[in-house]
Amino acid sequence: MHSKNMILKHPLSVRIFHYLLVISFVPLAVTGLILYFKPFSESTMNLTIRVHVIAGILLTFDALSFFMIGYKRVVLFLSRVFSISGNDFKWFAVLGGYPQKLLLHKKVPVPPMGKYNSGQKLFGVCVFIGGVILIFTGLALWAFPHNLPRGTVALLGHLHTIAAWALTLFLCVHIFLGIYMFDDFKAMFLHGKIPYEEAKEMAPLWVEKEIIPLPKN
Amino acid sequence: MSEQDYKYIENPLHITRREFITITGIITAFLALPSIWIRSVATANNDYIKARTKNLYQDDVQSKIRVSHANKSVARYYKEFGGKPLSRLSEELLHTKYINRTKALS
Amino acid sequence: MNVIAKTYQKGEIPGVIAINASVCKGCDACKRHCPTGAITGMFGATHSIDVDLCLSCGQCLVNCPFGAPYETSDAVDTVISKLNDANVTVVGIIAPAVRVAIGEEFGMPAGSLVTGKLYGAMKKAGIEIFDNNFTADLTIMEEGSEFISRARHAVFGEKGENGEPIGPLPQFTSCCPAWVRFVETQYPSLIPHLSSAKSPQQMAGAVAKTYGAKVWGKPAEQIYTIGIMPCTAKKFEASRPEFKSAFEYQTHINKAKSETYADVDVVLTTRDLARLFKKMKIDLAKEQDYTPEILFAEYSGAGTIFGNTGGVMEAAVRTAYAVITGNELTDVEFKPVRGLKGVKSASVTLKDSKYDKEVTINLAVVHGIARNLKPVIDQVLAGTSPYHFIEVMNCPAGCINGGGQPIQKNGSSWIEAIRPWFAWK
Repeated sequence: MHSKNMILKHPLSVRIFHYLLVISFVPLAVTGLILYFKPFSESTMNLTIRVHVIAGILLTFDALSFFMIGYKRVVLFLSRVFSISGNDFKWFAVLGGYPQKLLLHKKVPVPPMGKYNSGQKLFGVCVFIGGVILIFTGLALWAFPHNLPRGTVALLGHLHTIAAWALTLFLCVHIFLGIYMFDDFKAMFLHGKIPYEEAKEMAPLWVEKEIIPLPKN
Repeated sequence: MSEQDYKYIENPLHITRREFITITGIITAFLALPSIWIRSVATANNDYIKARTKNLYQDDVQSKIRVSHANKSVARYYKEFGGKPLSRLSEELLHTKYINRTKALS
Repeated sequence: MNVIAKTYQKGEIPGVIAINASVCKGCDACKRHCPTGAITGMFGATHSIDVDLCLSCGQCLVNCPFGAPYETSDAVDTVISKLNDANVTVVGIIAPAVRVAIGEEFGMPAGSLVTGKLYGAMKKAGIEIFDNNFTADLTIMEEGSEFISRARHAVFGEKGENGEPIGPLPQFTSCCPAWVRFVETQYPSLIPHLSSAKSPQQMAGAVAKTYGAKVWGKPAEQIYTIGIMPCTAKKFEASRPEFKSAFEYQTHINKAKSETYADVDVVLTTRDLARLFKKMKIDLAKEQDYTPEILFAEYSGAGTIFGNTGGVMEAAVRTAYAVITGNELTDVEFKPVRGLKGVKSASVTLKDSKYDKEVTINLAVVHGIARNLKPVIDQVLAGTSPYHFIEVMNCPAGCINGGGQPIQKNGSSWIEAIRPWFAWK
């Protein structure tokens, strides 16, 4: 913690964005599941969809404001998650070495990764596309179900359901791995920093190419 | 955060101009195409209604007779059977009475 | 149905539409299309229908994006069994709006006019053809004559021929069963304003089983009339117990003895008829055009436009003009009542040849009770209505967009500009 060899991985803006994402997406996932299975009485279902709507609006504002404030970071994020190289195929062939490490306590060689490993890249792609789909279809389903063409609304509904299921399942994996990588968890929820040595092991290409010493001014 | 307790940061300018344009273009297309699509389906909302309306008026234009009182079969009905409009038989067969349903019925 | 329906007579179908709770997403889309607010259930919760308020118009059914509402009464199999019964003459009463919509169910473009193919398919299925446009013309004769007598009573104090009471102005049309039920359940004080003329479907049933029985040479009880309608409310209308006038005529005048029968035995929607054809392996799109010889298939252009909003009014104007002035119109097309504006109004000044005086008639056409009716009806209730004759159709754009029509995925009944509506409660 007091090691001076720390890298600022998540600046404050990213951490605030992530906090807002947590307090909007987790309720959205929970209320979305309730809306899908409809287990409760009329007034409870009404309360559920109200929470869903408010959390959805919060998520929309969160995404929009981060897109504007952290435009450069968004572009960096997109350029990273959408870049595919041969290393990604090698990474998926051994699944990043995680099953071997978790189940067999064996270390296997893993191709060098950038800031995000291939699994995170796939997650990033899904979160971005799925998130955009969820926001657009969700707003349309809330405000225009009565006057957009019926088939279009039904299509938007199906897209919303599919994207929601995909992201909710990804969320479980994300929470598990996020807590498993406890340094990253602390970085995201507390101070934003990770140790230099660990980063070098986890993301050698990133540290090598993109990390610079703090400029003195 | 008075004291900086980290030594390294991410290089903030690591994208070339070309990449920047490409990525922005992709994002714009990603957002613009669905918007164009939804606008086009929304403006076509009443097309099927207009098509049905137009073709029903077309059926009118195609008709040899275009006014009800010139329908020879209707005239034949009144001559052979119904008498004339509002006749006693017409009242019996072709007219009705309405009921107040705000009072409990059944 | 465990609730006791209060607004139905004995024998009527208590609500033709119900909502499948497992499909309903609680999105509230249907509520904006419902003319009476009959859909209950809060936003987010599964909806259900209050049958006492429901008009059975089916607008929720055709506009639900998820297909949750369904019809509770389905007569396709009954009709097929009647078609297989050699003792029964099945008569199909085809509404005007069916001919521009049924092609859609067989893969033809939206709005294809398929009168000939429809006749051909019906002949193949063994259904006698009774075009409801014929009775639409009859409706104009009856309803138009009634309007003229009401107008002459109001302007010149003319008395009824047999001393019968004459209703007040404005006169409302009575072709739309959902609108009739709307008046009966919401504004009973307006009942005298409704034209006493039956809807074309009920006229067709009554004529088919009296005059038609003579034409076909069949006893009335062997004639099985099916209304083929763009409308789910017609199913309700046909079940009204007072519509047994053919039976009463046959028993009282012809002294015939049989079990009671309704004027219209059963109603199929356009979708139902398409399903019937498909069950009987008839592909309407591939049928040859066919022109029936029978007099009940002869119709005027005025009868066929009943399916459009403003059509009844336009047809009435064409005939009323001729009857009042004694001259024929040179241009029969009456454009002010056409189009998709919510409330269309027009006024016609013409010379009454009987009294040799000029009269001005103000007309209004309303379609889409859910969105457009309120101001017009408030004026009538307050006694300040400038109109003398008002056509009301429940469904936006008229019968061609009725609740029984094929569901077009690429459109909705929303006629106005597309605006958001944020559901909350």
